[in-house]
Amino acid sequence: MSEIDMAVIKPEMMKPYVWLQTSDDSIQQVEQEIAMFCPLICQEIIQKGLGSSKNCAICLPQQVSPTMLSLILDYCRFHQVPGRSNKERKAYDEKFVRIDTERLCELTSAADSLQLKPLVDLTSRALARIIEGKSPEEIRDIFHLPDDLTEEEKLEPLRNITADPRIRLLNRLYAKKRKELKERERLKNIEVEEELVDERSVDDLLSFINGNSGESKGVKTSKNKKKNRRKKEQQKHSLKEEASELNKKEVNGHDIRHRSSEAERISETSCLHYAEDGTITPKVEFDDGDIDDEIDPALKEKIDREVEDFARRLNSDWPERMQELLSSGQERKTMHFTTDGFLRRHA
Amino acid sequence: MGDVMGPDLISDLPQSIIESILMKIPIRDAVRTSILSSKWRYKWSSITQLIFDDKCVPFSSDREYVGRSVTKFITRVLFLHQGPIHKFQIKSSKLQSCPEIDQWILYLSRNDIKELVMELGDGEFFRIPSSLFNCRKLRRLELSRCELDPPQNFKGFKGLRSLGLHQVLICPDAVESLISKCPLLESLSVSYFDNLALTIRAPNLKHLYLEGEFKDIYLEDAPFLVEISIAMYMTDDIAEHFEQSSNCNFVKFLGGVPNLEKLVGLIYFTKYLSIGIDSVHLPIMYNNLETIELYQVNFEDTKEILVILRLITSAPNLKELQISGSSNIAVAADIPDLDFWEKECLSGTTLNKLKSVKLSEMGGWSHEIEFMKYLLRRSPVLETLNIIPCVFDMENNLRMLMELVKCRRASTRAEVVFYRE
Repeated sequence: MSEIDMAVIKPEMMKPYVWLQTSDDSIQQVEQEIAMFCPLICQEIIQKGLGSSKNCAICLPQQVSPTMLSLILDYCRFHQVPGRSNKERKAYDEKFVRIDTERLCELTSAADSLQLKPLVDLTSRALARIIEGKSPEEIRDIFHLPDDLTEEEKLEPLRNITADPRIRLLNRLYAKKRKELKERERLKNIEVEEELVDERSVDDLLSFINGNSGESKGVKTSKNKKKNRRKKEQQKHSLKEEASELNKKEVNGHDIRHRSSEAERISETSCLHYAEDGTITPKVEFDDGDIDDEIDPALKEKIDREVEDFARRLNSDWPERMQELLSSGQERKTMHFTTDGFLRRHA
Repeated sequence: MGDVMGPDLISDLPQSIIESILMKIPIRDAVRTSILSSKWRYKWSSITQLIFDDKCVPFSSDREYVGRSVTKFITRVLFLHQGPIHKFQIKSSKLQSCPEIDQWILYLSRNDIKELVMELGDGEFFRIPSSLFNCRKLRRLELSRCELDPPQNFKGFKGLRSLGLHQVLICPDAVESLISKCPLLESLSVSYFDNLALTIRAPNLKHLYLEGEFKDIYLEDAPFLVEISIAMYMTDDIAEHFEQSSNCNFVKFLGGVPNLEKLVGLIYFTKYLSIGIDSVHLPIMYNNLETIELYQVNFEDTKEILVILRLITSAPNLKELQISGSSNIAVAADIPDLDFWEKECLSGTTLNKLKSVKLSEMGGWSHEIEFMKYLLRRSPVLETLNIIPCVFDMENNLRMLMELVKCRRASTRAEVVFYRE
């Protein structure tokens, strides 16, 4: 700042009052000595020469409403008096933060915007005392936080999804399985396409002959679905049986290729319940119809457990640590979140 | 219809304030905030201060289980944490030495750690890995119950201001070398070492705290020391060493600390200082020394009394004096050596600023009484003289009181307060 600037500002600084404009655009006159306790106001006065009159009132940050300003000024008024003892100051501070939570948060924000660090520390400590020891529900209640995490996210809130070793294991298994399935599909690729076309025409003929197109088609589709399921199961367990049923099932090979990875996973797990006799049994465990990327949590739980078994069987010499992590996921605990529940997924 | 929820009060505060709030609550609660709402999911993960203890995990009476749970908890927190970690503290009596701790220290060394405090369980001492010595930004290091072995080519912690080694297995040369390689060291605390002869070269040292079996303490280069607190334990070895010593420990110890403001000596410290004291004239004055506290002084030994007298007469600005006697003096051997006191009274120095004196564990022995009279006669601004007798003998206490009542006082404001049990 040049000499001239200082000369101009100095007489201004002699004035006992400054003008401050709060968030609602109203302008107040405040004792300069007290206002200068706030670093931001101090800066505005000294560096920019503002505040000396109504016209050039210091525009306070948006977080400072008139009520907040009045609270802050009370604080400054008390503390800027040098003669007070530490005990007095502490007692005042304790009383000062005994306000409702909403105003406390607003005050923290306002004090921070004015760079008034001692008050920010005081209010932060008060907020910390409020949060400490409370359950998440209580905290959400006090601060009006939206409960917008999914159950899944809550139970594994701290898992960096791709980083978790269990999920990495799962992904690896799925990838492996998918690759295997793809290999087998490629072998029957050409034949299947042709067969498909043929089947359709025969179907039409049959339905025409039988006289109830819709029904037979419906039956056929459901049969297809069931056979589809069984086909996948059989792929897992024996190639022999697959070959024998190739005629009936080829149409479904097309479908399988286009299914999502989830469905494959489902089929893999349900293969563990495969009925050896090969009869078509109605399976009511899941709906083929709504296979999309989201999985029903209960089902997911089942899948997890089964895949874990599968994983263990595939990788019986997996390092000890992995075993520990996987087995800790098996334990059943309540929904209430604890830090030990990092790997515990479902109640 | 349920309540209409107000607007979110807190999630939009600046991250720096949220972090400062989260650092004021226990780490477990801070981590739990991640399930409050979607905005809060990772707010905790960038806090720069991680403080752990046994309360981080649910209580269990199985110590080993708690130790393992704490280990798991810390590993997970570190794994999920993002950003620099300035302070890491773990104080757990149940945490046992395990390989994970090596990994934590390695991780911290890569994340700008500035303050590291580790106090582990009572089992096998943990051996600090070499990655600790790569923590270039370290400003404060406090280790308890571990084994430390600095590498040969270790150049020191260039920014270390405060060092604390408590029950640490480290060879004595390594301690001295570590201290001297940390040029900015201001505060040193070393405790529970066995038979250590320590030479301290720390040009910036201001606070010194030593406790243990020290054979010798030589403050070779610590001119800025302001506060010293020493507790010296005795073993047969050390006793023998004392007998044979020809040093003047007083000069060796206090000779180079002219800026001293507070001196606290416990157990055998006064005895240590008394060795060689009568042979030397003290060269320096301690103009800033305002508080002297000497405990377990043996008033039977005139050399120890001499230590006190030399100290208080070299400290013209002394305000507060606390002395406690040694309560294991044999009852019979109380032959007053009045020559000693006559000689001392000749010196004529007064304690011009001494305001408050507290004498505890007083057995009523002649030397103690003479000392009290000495103080009363030479302290023109004395305000309180508190005397706390050790309650062995009512006869002695009575004698003490009678002498005190008789004694002339230099200060008209002096209050002599005698505490009864």
